[in-house]
Amino acid sequence: MNDQGTKRREWVKNAVIIFLTVMLLLTFFSNTIMNYSLPEVAAQYIQSGTITAKIRGTGMVESGDPYEVIISDTRIVESVSVKTGDTVVKGDALFILEDQEDETITLKEEELKKAVLAFETAILTGDISSSVWNNVQSGGSTSITTYQNKILAAEAVIEARQQKVDEIQTKINEITTSITTLKYGSADTSAEARALYNAQNAYEKKNDELTYAKNTYNALLTEYREAETYIKSYEAGSVSGNDLDSLKAQYDLAKQKLNTLPALIRDAENQVTSLQSEVYNLNIQVNNAQSALDSKTDNSGSIKNLEKEQAKWELELEEKKSLLSEAEEERTQLIKDIAAELSLNSEKDNISKLQEELAELRAKAIGAVVEAPVSGTVTSISITAGEKTGAEKTLATMQPEGKGFTLSFSVTNDQAKRLSVGTAADLVNAWRYDDIQVTLASIKPDTTDPASKKLLTFNITGSVVAGQSLSLSVGDKSSSYDMIVPNSAIREDNNGKFILVVESKSSPLGNRYVATRYDVDVVASDDTQSAITGGLYGYEFVITTSTKPVEAGQLVRLSNQ
Amino acid sequence: MNMKKWIHTLTAGQIKLGISGVISFLVFLILLAVHGMLGREQLSQQMAERWSEQKNVAQVSCFLSTNAYIDPDSVEMFRHNLDNALLEASITQDSPNESARLWADAYSAGGRITLTSDRGSIEANALGIGGDFFLFHPLQLLYGSYFTGNDLMQDYCVVDEDMAWQLFGSNNVAGMTVYIQNVPHIILGVVRRDSGKLNEAAGLDSTLVYVSYKTLSDLGTNKGINHYEIVMPNPISSYALNYVKENIGVADSDIEVVENTTRFELFNSFKRIILFGTRSMNSKAIIYPYWENVARGYEDILTAIAVFLLLFFLYPLILLIIGIITWWRLKSWTLGSVYVEIRDKAGRYTEYLREKHRGKKGSKDHMKEKEGM
Repeated sequence: MNDQGTKRREWVKNAVIIFLTVMLLLTFFSNTIMNYSLPEVAAQYIQSGTITAKIRGTGMVESGDPYEVIISDTRIVESVSVKTGDTVVKGDALFILEDQEDETITLKEEELKKAVLAFETAILTGDISSSVWNNVQSGGSTSITTYQNKILAAEAVIEARQQKVDEIQTKINEITTSITTLKYGSADTSAEARALYNAQNAYEKKNDELTYAKNTYNALLTEYREAETYIKSYEAGSVSGNDLDSLKAQYDLAKQKLNTLPALIRDAENQVTSLQSEVYNLNIQVNNAQSALDSKTDNSGSIKNLEKEQAKWELELEEKKSLLSEAEEERTQLIKDIAAELSLNSEKDNISKLQEELAELRAKAIGAVVEAPVSGTVTSISITAGEKTGAEKTLATMQPEGKGFTLSFSVTNDQAKRLSVGTAADLVNAWRYDDIQVTLASIKPDTTDPASKKLLTFNITGSVVAGQSLSLSVGDKSSSYDMIVPNSAIREDNNGKFILVVESKSSPLGNRYVATRYDVDVVASDDTQSAITGGLYGYEFVITTSTKPVEAGQLVRLSNQ
Repeated sequence: MNMKKWIHTLTAGQIKLGISGVISFLVFLILLAVHGMLGREQLSQQMAERWSEQKNVAQVSCFLSTNAYIDPDSVEMFRHNLDNALLEASITQDSPNESARLWADAYSAGGRITLTSDRGSIEANALGIGGDFFLFHPLQLLYGSYFTGNDLMQDYCVVDEDMAWQLFGSNNVAGMTVYIQNVPHIILGVVRRDSGKLNEAAGLDSTLVYVSYKTLSDLGTNKGINHYEIVMPNPISSYALNYVKENIGVADSDIEVVENTTRFELFNSFKRIILFGTRSMNSKAIIYPYWENVARGYEDILTAIAVFLLLFFLYPLILLIIGIITWWRLKSWTLGSVYVEIRDKAGRYTEYLREKHRGKKGSKDHMKEKEGM
C-alpha cells in the first residue's frame, strides 16, 4: 500500500518537473516562437521625390521622304547590285536586267502595226484631194492659220456669188411686178367686162333654148317615122300579135299621127331656125363685147419686152446659182480636206513616235541597268534576281541623302493626354545607340481605332537606318511629391486604397510590431512608385511585401533585410 | 465520489467504448479545425474576405471555353452594366474614401510567350492579365511590385524565381528589361511559385510569366480570355453568382461559374459527397487555370475530410444515444422520486438561505450593540 503511494507521488513529481520545464522553455522562447508564427514583412519609410510617368513604345524607323525606284518596262532582273543599307551615289547601278526580247517591245510593235494600218486605210478610203495627199506625203504641216485663211477665202467667194444671185433675183422680181402692173394696170374696164358678161349670159341662154328646140324637133320627127313604119308593116301584114283589136288600134293611132305630126314638125323646124338666127346674133354681140374689152386693155407690146428681159435675167440667175453651188462644194471639200489632213498628220506623228519608242526599247533590251536616281541609302529592296519588273512595281526604296527619319506607334488616349508635341523622347537602352535625337512631331487619331487610340509620330535624326526597330520612352514633366511609396505598398479593398504602416509597441518581452491601416489617395504613379496623400506624417514605415496576407491590427515580424 | 462509484459500475468494455467515443469526438473536432484551416489557406479563393470586413460581398469566378469569345471590350461592357445594375439596386458606395470601389474584377488568358534577355530566350507559359489580377491572386512577392490592367503602361511583366534566374542569373531582377518579340518589357516583380504535389499537378510545374493581356495578344499566342473573376456586393445569398451568370453574355455550354466565397464551407463539402461519381464529369471545353485546379484539388480533400468528419461525429453520437438508452432502461429512479428529490433539495437550499440571512442580521445587531456601548 505504501509502495503504491510512493510510486504515485513519484509520477506526480516527474510530471510537475516536466510541466515546469516546458513552461520555462516556452516562456524563454515565447517571443521567438511567436515571431515565427507571424507574417514576415518588408517595409520602408515614406519618401519625398519626383514621379515621372513615362510612355513607352516600339516602332519601325521609316524614311521621312522615301524615294521609290521604279522602271516602266517589264524585264527580268539578272542580278541585284546592292544590299539593304548600302550607300550609293546617283548613277550607281542598282539592278542589272537580262538581255531578252521585252514584252513591251512586242506590244509596241503590235501598236505600230495597228497605227500604220489605220493610216493607210484612212488614205485609201478617205475622200481627200490630191493636194492633201501630197502635203501629207511630203511631211509638210499646215498651220491652223493657213487652214482658217483658206476657209475664209472660200466663204468670201460664196458670199460674193450669193450676193450676185440675190441681185439678179431682185431684178427679176421687179420685172415680174412691172408685167403684172401692165397686165392688170390702172384702166377701168368694168363696163366692158360687164357688157361681155351680159352678152355671154344671153348667148348661153339662147343657145340652151336652141338645143331644146332641136331636141323637140328631132323627137317629133322620130315619132312620125315610127308611125309611118308601123303603118307600112301593118298593111303588109308583117306585124305580129294575138290581140288584133289592139293592133288595129295602134294602126289607127299611127294613121292619126301621120295626119297631126307634120304640122308640129314644121312649127318645131321654124322655131329652130328662128333660135339659130338669134344665137348667131348674140354670138356677134359677145365677140363685140370681147373686142371692146380687149381694145381697152391692150399693152402687149411693153409686156412682151419685159417678158423678154425677165427671161434673160432668169438665164443669168441660173448661171450665178450654179457658180454659187460650185463655191459651196469647194468650201465643203476644203473643210473635209483640212480634217483629213489633220487626222492623217496625227496618225503619221503617232507612227513616228511609236517607231522612236520601239527603237529606244530595242536599244534598252541589251545590257540594260537600273541606276540609282538619287544619292542616298538603300532602305529596302523589293525584288530579287529572276523576278520580273513591272510598271507599278517598286524595285527598291531609297533614303535620299540629307533627309530625316520618322517613327510611329500607337498609344491609348489616356497615355496621349500626358504628352505634347515637341517633347524630346529617350531611347530605351540608350547606351546601345549613339547620337540619336528623337522629338515628338505629331499626335493624331490612329486610323485603326480612332476612338480610343492615338498615333504618335516622332522625328529622328542621327545614326539610324530605315527598317530599324527602336523603343522610345517619352514622358510628361516630373512632379515633386512629399510622400512617395513603392507601388507594392498600395493596397485596396472596398473602402478604397490604403497602406499598412508598421507601428512599434513595447511589451515586457520586447517590441511588438503592429500593422496599422491608413487610408490614402494615390495622386500619381510611375512604373515603380506612387505619390500618396492622406493622414500621414511622412516618415511612417510602410509595409511593401509580406510572406502572408497581413490584416490591419495584426502583429507582424520585420524581415532582417 | 459519485463519479468514482459510477466508473466502478462500468464494465471494461463500456469504458473502452467510452474512451473510443471521446477520441472519435476529439478527432472530429480536429478535422473540423483542419477543414476550416485548409479552406482559408487558398488566398485566391478568399478575395471576398480581403475585400470587405463586413462580409457582404462575394467572389465569383468564370471559366470560359475558347468558344466564349470574350474580349476586353465585352468585359468593359459588363462592367458598365454592373454599375448600372448596382445603382438600380440602390447599392452605392458609402465609404468616406473617394477612391473606394464597390467591386473589383480581373480577367486573364493562358498562352505562350518568349522572353529574351542578354543571356538567351526562354519560351514559357504565360498569363495575360487585365483588371486587378494580383488583387485576386496575392502571390508572394519577393521583389518589386505587381501591376494591374488599369496601369498607364502595359509593358510590364511579373516572373517567378526560376524565370528570373534563367533570364539574368539572379532573383532580384525587378526593374530589369526583357524583350518580347523585340519589344522591351519591364520586370516589375518577382514572385515565389507555389510548390508541392498539388500545385505542380495543377499547372505550376514549370515557370509562369504574368504579362498584360495586350502583350499576350499582340506578342504571344493565346486563345482569348479564359478566366474572369469579380468581387462584388452580395446583398442576398447568391446575388453575385446569379448576376454574373445572367449577364456575362456567354452560353451555359461555354462557361462555368463558381462562387469562391462559399465553396469551402462545410455544408458544400457535404453536398459534394452527394455528387460523388458525377462531379468529375465534364462536358465543357474548359481548361482550368492552376488556381482553380488547386481549389478543386482542395475541394476533393475537403470532401474526403467531410466524410471522416461525418464518421467521427456519428460514432460518438451513436454511442451516446446507445448509452442514454441503456441508462434509461437500467434507471433506478422514477419521475416521482426525481420530483421529490428536487423538492427536497430546493427546501434545503431555501433553509440554507434563511440561515444565512439570519446570521448576517445577528452580526449587524451585535455591532449596533457595541456602538451603543
